[in-house]
Order: sequence, then C-alpha cells, then structure tokens
Amino acid sequence: MTTLRRPRVIYTNPSRAARPKPEASGTERFWWYFMRLSGLALVILALGHMFIMHVLVVLTGDEINFAFVQSRWGSPFWRIYDFALLVLAFLHGVNGARVVIGDYVNHRTARSLILGVLLVISGIWLVAGMAIIIFFDPSTQSVAGPLS
Amino acid sequence: MINLFGYRLSWAQLAWFGHRASGLGVLLFLFLHIVETSTVLLGPEVYDFTQTFYQNLPAKLGEVLLMAALVYHALNGLRVIAMDFWPSLTVYYRPLTYGVIAATIISMVPLGIIMTRGYLPWG
Ligand code: HEM
Repeated sequence: MTTLRRPRVIYTNPSRAARPKPEASGTERFWWYFMRLSGLALVILALGHMFIMHVLVVLTGDEINFAFVQSRWGSPFWRIYDFALLVLAFLHGVNGARVVIGDYVNHRTARSLILGVLLVISGIWLVAGMAIIIFFDPSTQSVAGPLS
Repeated sequence: MINLFGYRLSWAQLAWFGHRASGLGVLLFLFLHIVETSTVLLGPEVYDFTQTFYQNLPAKLGEVLLMAALVYHALNGLRVIAMDFWPSLTVYYRPLTYGVIAATIISMVPLGIIMTRGYLPWG
C-alpha cells in the first residue's frame, strides 16, 4: 500500500477531472493503467451484465431465480464471463476506494490502518465471491440448505 | 460555472465528484451483491427467498439508481480514458462532459421504464 501523498486532481487538472498519470514508473503507474484498461473491459462486462439482468430478462418475461442461475452457470461461457466481471470490478472498485481514502485521510497512522482494514476485508470478500462461482453445482436439484 | 448552495462549482468538478460518488456507490452494491448471491449455494428455497427482496418497487427504484450510476460512471470513464490517451481531446472537455451528462439522462428514460415494468402503481 502506498504512502505517497497525492494532490487532489481536481485542482491540478481541472480540464480532465481525473487523476493525472504518475510521472515515475512503478506500482502507482501500474494502477493508473489498470484503472483505464479494466474500465474498458468493464464497459462490456458490467454494462452487459446489467443489460442482460435488468433489460433482457424483463423483455423476455423471464425471472431471476435458482433455476435461472442453474441454466446460466450451466454454461462455461457465462461462468467465465461472471468470474471476469467479479474480479475486474472488484479490483477496479477497491483500488478506486484506496485512491479516495488516500485523498481524504491525511493522518499517516489512520491512513495505514484504514487501508489495512480495506485490504483484509476486500481479500476475504473477493475469495468468497470467486468461491461461489467456482463451487456452485448446476446439477444440484433441491439440496436443503442449513437455513431451509 | 454552477452556483450550488453558495459554492461556485465548475462542470469539471461536478463530473469528477459524480464519477467518485457513482464508483463508490457501485462498489458498495458489489459487496452486498456477493453476500446475496452466496445464498445460491444454500439451495433453491433460500436463494429464491433472497430474490424476493428485489421484487418490490423501492428495490426496483434502487436498481434504476444503480443503473444510472453505472451508466454515468462508464460514459464519464470513457471520456477520461479518451482524453488520457489523446490529450488533444482536452480542448473539447466541455462539450464532452455535457455529452456524457446528456447521454446518461437520455438513456435512463427507456431503461427506467423497462426496469420498473410491472411494479409502478399504474402498472
Ligand atoms: C463500466 C465501466 C467502467 C469504466 C469505463 C470505469 C472507468 C474508471 C476510470 C477511468 C477511473 C479512474 C479515474 C481517475 O483516475 O481519476 C475510475 C475510477 C473508479 N471506478 Fe470505475 N469504471 C467502470 C466501472 C466501475 C465499477 C463497476 C466500479 C465499482 C465496482 C467502479 C468504481 C470506481 C471507483 C471507486 C473509482 C475511484 C474514483 C476516484 O478516484 O475518484 N468503476 N473508473
């Protein structure tokens, strides 16, 4: 995690209204490129996901339920699609949150602490998310879960 | 320049703030979405019950808001990316920013109508 202090972009580059490309090569510049390349992929992945789930499903009179997930994740294509969407959106979003925290929290110790908590929670969440997509078994008929 | 509660804001500042707010909002939903989707591992009864949380008007309006946030973030993100890789486009930042805001509003009209279909009081 970075300890670099960054100027608030809005004052240094009012016409682009975004973070300027870091001058030095290294981690910060990697993430700068990562935000842009993952952003391009997410235009297809994230908007496509919303379009399928909230527009096509409505227009075709379908409904999102267990059977829907069964047939969708029965196909490797959609499983890989959703996996790529999960990982890219998560890394993109969490790195974005990291930049935002770096902008507002000036106290060194507080910043390290908050970034540490963000990193740990995000790690657990991302692994859990990947596990759901990997371990879901579309052939299960009606397994009674612990809550049912 | 826009005058908001006595603060003088430029469109660039507003576009930047909107990008930040929408990005954080979508990220928050992504965290919740992972929790809610995890119930698919508990079988059809639990998962289908979880999905009923989305089947009411307030939830549908929330989904429309999520869609608007993502559409704005995506379009504004494309504008930022384009200007980063072709700096000469910076000259057109103002019309491009207006275009992003206009395109978000215009595309949300049909999307909002479709996404709330069957849940609005008048049908
Ligand atoms: C749909 C396609 C998307 C595009 C084109 C896109 C583009 C971008 C770009 C270019 C940035 C960097 C801005 C800068 O460096 O100043 C950014 C920041 C960010 N994005 Fe995205 N993004 C997309 C989707 C998402 C999604 C799905 C999420 C949430 C999970 C998200 C959350 C964020 C956050 C939190 C930031 C940091 C905002 C800031 O620093 O002010 N984005 N996005």
